[in-house]
Amino acid sequence: MPTLLATLPHATRRLLFTWAVLMGLTLVTMLSAQLGGDARLQALPLWSAGLLLLSTAFKAHQVLMTYLGLRDASSAWRGAFIGLVLLTLVLVASGYLLARLGS
Amino acid sequence: MPQRKEAYPRPVPNPGWGPLSTLPGNPLMWVLILSEMVVFAAFFGLFAWLRIGEREVFDASRQLLDPVAGGINTLVLLTSGLFAALAVQAISAGRIRRCRQWLAGAFALGVAFCVVKVMEYADKLGAGLVPETNTFFTFYYLLTGFHFAHVLFGLGLIALVAWRISHDNVETAAAFWHMVDLIWILLYPVIYLLR
Repeated sequence: MPTLLATLPHATRRLLFTWAVLMGLTLVTMLSAQLGGDARLQALPLWSAGLLLLSTAFKAHQVLMTYLGLRDASSAWRGAFIGLVLLTLVLVASGYLLARLGS
Repeated sequence: MPQRKEAYPRPVPNPGWGPLSTLPGNPLMWVLILSEMVVFAAFFGLFAWLRIGEREVFDASRQLLDPVAGGINTLVLLTSGLFAALAVQAISAGRIRRCRQWLAGAFALGVAFCVVKVMEYADKLGAGLVPETNTFFTFYYLLTGFHFAHVLFGLGLIALVAWRISHDNVETAAAFWHMVDLIWILLYPVIYLLR
């Protein structure tokens, strides 16, 4: 017997799958940022900060490609939008690392 | 001789729009999306730059925020974005009633986001944390406030297209709403989490 998900159109299944990934990554981000207890008062370990930024980049990529439909646009536009997101995160990561090195 | 599927050129969504013709939905909305992303990228870069010189102030101030509320708002906005995307699919299939239902869902979750944000602002202002408190809170109010204004505009847009419903209108409003989503996805870790 086909599951309810299997009866949905491919485009709808893709949306639901993307949504599930985005929700999961948000929860992973919150967990890796160690929001509870005394750990919240400490600087994040580098692996955790890296995971946080990588998951943010992937989430932004998914929203651009699937929610906004850039998947069907030309590669130049895909590159421009993804490049802008990556540039933003590189700026943030550089500032973050410089602040850590300076302290 | 059978040709591979990839050999056929795909129809361009917006013929006559030059370089913008391959973008889905209203091309002018993409100009707005790109310009908004550039503005927020500049603000995020400036925020990261200023943190280098005031790390203690930024980290102490960040501890006064509620990252769980911010996380819940991320989940709410992502789900609202899903509903907006499903509304576009519904209108594409000619299912107007279903489209309005998805838009109503997206709108309701957008309102939920606003309620959480207003509670957060009330809490911070009640504690005497205002934009003049320090550089961190200047940016906190500037970035989240600017984003909040976009959420309110997006809610107005969703309400408008639910009333004057058409494929182009729904697709354009949904694209704006996804941009609001995208900015929050970048804003949440930068302001609330990265310490």
